[in-house]
Amino acid sequence: MQVFTSIIVLVIFFMAYIISDIRDYRDRKIKSINGLAHVIGTNSISTLIFQDNEAAADILSELENAAPEIVRADIFDDNGKVFASYIKEGGGGVNINPVIKKTETHFTDTLLYVVHEIMHKTEYVGTVALQVELSELIAIKKAKFDLGVILLLAAICISFLIGFLVQPYISKRLLNLVNTIKNARKTENYYIPITDEGRDEISTLITAFNELMQQVMENQQKKDEFIGIASHELKTPLTSVRGYLDLLNVMEDKQPNRQCVEKALESTHKLEKLIRDLLDVSKIQSGQLQLNIKDFVMDELIDETLASIQMVTLTHEIVKGKNEYGDQVIWGDRQKIEQVLVNILLNAVKYSPADNKIIVSTEKTESELIVRVRDFGIGIPEEEINEIFERFYRTKNSSVHIAGLGLGLYICRDIVQRHNGRIWVEKEEQGSSFYFSLPLKTTLATMPKKMAQNAGTAFKQ
Amino acid sequence: MDKILVVDDDVDILTLVKMTLNMNGFNVEILSRWEKIDNAIQEFVPDLILLDVSLGGADGREICKRIKTTKETEHIPIILFSANIEMEKSIDNCHAQAFISKPYDLNYFLNTIKSYIKTSSQPGASLN
Repeated sequence: MQVFTSIIVLVIFFMAYIISDIRDYRDRKIKSINGLAHVIGTNSISTLIFQDNEAAADILSELENAAPEIVRADIFDDNGKVFASYIKEGGGGVNINPVIKKTETHFTDTLLYVVHEIMHKTEYVGTVALQVELSELIAIKKAKFDLGVILLLAAICISFLIGFLVQPYISKRLLNLVNTIKNARKTENYYIPITDEGRDEISTLITAFNELMQQVMENQQKKDEFIGIASHELKTPLTSVRGYLDLLNVMEDKQPNRQCVEKALESTHKLEKLIRDLLDVSKIQSGQLQLNIKDFVMDELIDETLASIQMVTLTHEIVKGKNEYGDQVIWGDRQKIEQVLVNILLNAVKYSPADNKIIVSTEKTESELIVRVRDFGIGIPEEEINEIFERFYRTKNSSVHIAGLGLGLYICRDIVQRHNGRIWVEKEEQGSSFYFSLPLKTTLATMPKKMAQNAGTAFKQ
Repeated sequence: MDKILVVDDDVDILTLVKMTLNMNGFNVEILSRWEKIDNAIQEFVPDLILLDVSLGGADGREICKRIKTTKETEHIPIILFSANIEMEKSIDNCHAQAFISKPYDLNYFLNTIKSYIKTSSQPGASLN
């Protein structure tokens, strides 16, 4: 594009240069031939007065030496009759009609005509007409054009060469910028300052980009801080509400009062979970979520979780399936892994409104223990399978309204990944299967450093 | 009757906890100003202290540590109480007996308190 623009500019520049140069040459030519015509006219006044054709022809014949570009010269008398003529040997020129009392010039492709009236004092005595061949002009035109083309080609070559040399320098920096942007999108870590030592527009762009990204990061931090503070502040009044409702629940035996209290308590539990999720996300985002790593047996965790979920879930039956490997020891944050299992189970309940069975089972690979939660609910459309673990992602299946912020699975994924595990979902003929895997304690012996790092330090992506 | 001192800067929570514990047969003294805790311990002689972590202007964990490292008061069981679940990890450092997160589960709340009071038989109405 840049090269294309410079070519256009160069072409216009050369055209203007050639045209103005040729015009200059023409103007000078007209002036000098006019001068010559005037001199011839003045010299031939006496020959016209005395009707001396020969003398006039002599005057004209001198043109052969004085102005070799003149191919033909004519003098007409005051009646318009040819008085004397000169025709250059081998030259062109045409007979022109007698012209009376007129001074003019005009160009054809190859000739310049200059007609000049001859005055003796105030009396018109005749006309001199000169025909000048323009071979010189044509030669100049050609020379200028050739020069123009050569210069233009040279300029284009140089501009390509400069472009070729400068391009890598520019593209490299722009590609670096693009990669940083892509990376920021992928990792959600927006502030990765780019260093650039240039002093051109690109470095201005990079500086502006850095500043923008810093602002983005600061805003994100502020938002996460706000979520943290807000959810903490929400918890205090919620503690009161739940506490008094708990007391009422114990004291009140009469219906429908008791049912009202129970319903209010149910909503309080939901509110609690929402606040806890918000808080967890703000911790994940700000890198404050830490793991409390200890040994535990998966089987015990599953039993406890199933029992507590079953207590609050009257609509579904949650059963243990094939569970040969539940006795494996896991080294991780028991509370957080429980949170993962609870989240997946509650999702399974939420998303299978019509069917009432949920199966929890375990499998084992060489290095991992895999927990599977199978439901027979509405299932997950193929195109959403990779997206459901994203923050604030909620299923587009609009046939049932299901409450939530879209944070549960995002938190689950974060917790599992911090344990060097994996979490995924598979579509079943009816419903879906959620899996999460955790490395066995024996496997971890081979990678203790990484685990210790993940557990002990703030999470950085 | 076992005596429990409750320290929290939120009066609503104090009222709730007092009511809950009274109904379960405890003698409760509430305190919204943490600065007066030493006086309160001296006068009331609690069998257990329920202490909020985020007190206005003070860290409950520091107060707990001080009580637990003072000879006259080190025997009193202290249960920390906070809306911040993460606090649970730091109870070992300040020698607290247990941690209860807010909002609390009523049964867990009562069972935890009962388990740290030596005399287990409680007169009066029980919520369980």
